[in-house]
Amino acid sequence: MSLERKDEYDHRAWLKERDLSAIEKTYLMTLIWLDRRFRLVDYLEILENMYYKINLQMPKSHTEQYNLDNKFWYWYPLYALGSFSVLAYLVAAVSGALLGFYYAPSAASSAGNPEAYTQIVAIMQDQNFGFMLRSIHRWSAQVMTAAVFLHMLRVYFTGAYKEPREVNWIIGVILLALTVGFGYTGYLLPWNQLAFWAGQIGVEMALAVPLVGEWTAQLIFGGFSLGQPTLQRMYILHVFVLPFVVTALIALHIGIVWMQGIAEPH
Amino acid sequence: MSDNDPQTETDGSGPGIVAPDDEVPTWRERKERTTGLSRLTYEYFERARREDQDLRQESSYVERDVLGFPSWPHETVRNLAIGSVFIGMLLFLSATMPPHLGDPANPAETPEIILPDWYLYWSFGLLQLGPINPELTILGGEKIMSDELYGVLANAVVFGAIAVIPFLNKGGARRPVEQPFWSSVGVAGVTFAFTTSALAVDNLLPIDPNITFDLTFLLPLVAGAVSYAVLKTMREGYMYNLNQRYYRLRPPR
Repeated sequence: MSLERKDEYDHRAWLKERDLSAIEKTYLMTLIWLDRRFRLVDYLEILENMYYKINLQMPKSHTEQYNLDNKFWYWYPLYALGSFSVLAYLVAAVSGALLGFYYAPSAASSAGNPEAYTQIVAIMQDQNFGFMLRSIHRWSAQVMTAAVFLHMLRVYFTGAYKEPREVNWIIGVILLALTVGFGYTGYLLPWNQLAFWAGQIGVEMALAVPLVGEWTAQLIFGGFSLGQPTLQRMYILHVFVLPFVVTALIALHIGIVWMQGIAEPH
Repeated sequence: MSDNDPQTETDGSGPGIVAPDDEVPTWRERKERTTGLSRLTYEYFERARREDQDLRQESSYVERDVLGFPSWPHETVRNLAIGSVFIGMLLFLSATMPPHLGDPANPAETPEIILPDWYLYWSFGLLQLGPINPELTILGGEKIMSDELYGVLANAVVFGAIAVIPFLNKGGARRPVEQPFWSSVGVAGVTFAFTTSALAVDNLLPIDPNITFDLTFLLPLVAGAVSYAVLKTMREGYMYNLNQRYYRLRPPR
């Protein structure tokens, strides 16, 4: 047995036996060269597949397949809750990035009020469109959280978490916790009374835990009482740590849904 | 009723989609009719694809048979359509109900109302479970852990319980009627989330705090029991319908 690869698909020989013009030969050589390196076939196949699916005939939807035509259309919004939370997340990301241009996490006092609070007031009163921007950010956060909770309920009551989707359920539970964390860190950023005392509860919860409690309080809240370090850490968690982690987990979550398909029956 | 009645077909072979006749060229035929460079591309890709298929058949790779239906195009197209309505709704809410910005933080003054955002009310309520933190007589009536730690652990227990659900509830049942027990567990859980939220704001409710505390645990049980009874009853009807359809398809001789 020789180590030489027996190539049944000798494209070169195939090229030779065909009588091709110079243009054709150059074109095909380039095509083969690129295909060998970038697997163009696969991408073309995907495109082709999608093209035929939209243009020729849609495959039967679940409702068609099970003759549920007039019974189940009104459940559709419940099945779109997961993508609602992604949409709300995108809206929150864009509006949050715009808000971030005008905000710095500073608890230092300026004219009697904390700097961060003053900046939020400035955003709401002085910036063009600032009031709407903050409104959009806050509402998209609320709606994202609501959508995530309702999405979990939908998945629970339709038994969509069962084999083979257990791993995605657990990723979803982690995402739920992280979404709530997103909301909590964001809730603290305006540094108003509600924010301050919600932070106080957080510190007390952390300190209640034996052994690791004090360490956690110092890591996440920057000490045992609230102040500049707390605000700074909440800000970094909100705009740097959580976005990366949550985006990666959402991608994984959706990727698994894509691989496994939507759970049946509806 | 005859077997050809569309009402009785459950395999999806209903009317509505007409199969193409023999005159309609298939996509393969259309591509084979092309000339020039596109024809060359087609031929090369066909060869490459066959090569891939042969390699795949030689390997031990097995295509898994997962019960599901495609994310593309159904789910994606539908979600984008409903999603645009959703974004509109979001902007409408933002424009009509702007957020409130209260007083600036003041460590010296404790406000009357201390609350997190609404989605953490349940968690905040769980921190107030002190009255059911057991006191052990062995320890001379002392509590084994502080009330605060008890509340924090309750949060962890809730998340843990949600995470292990797929490993407790197995089997093929999907619809609530098919699994009355687990559905009523879900209903009780949702009710508990609401009652603990109410517990978090019990100083704002016009009810005696002790009654609120008792209701926090009673209402979920009641809701669970009621939904269990309802679903059990519904399942009778559900099974009856299944049987009826079965006997319509295969009438008893």
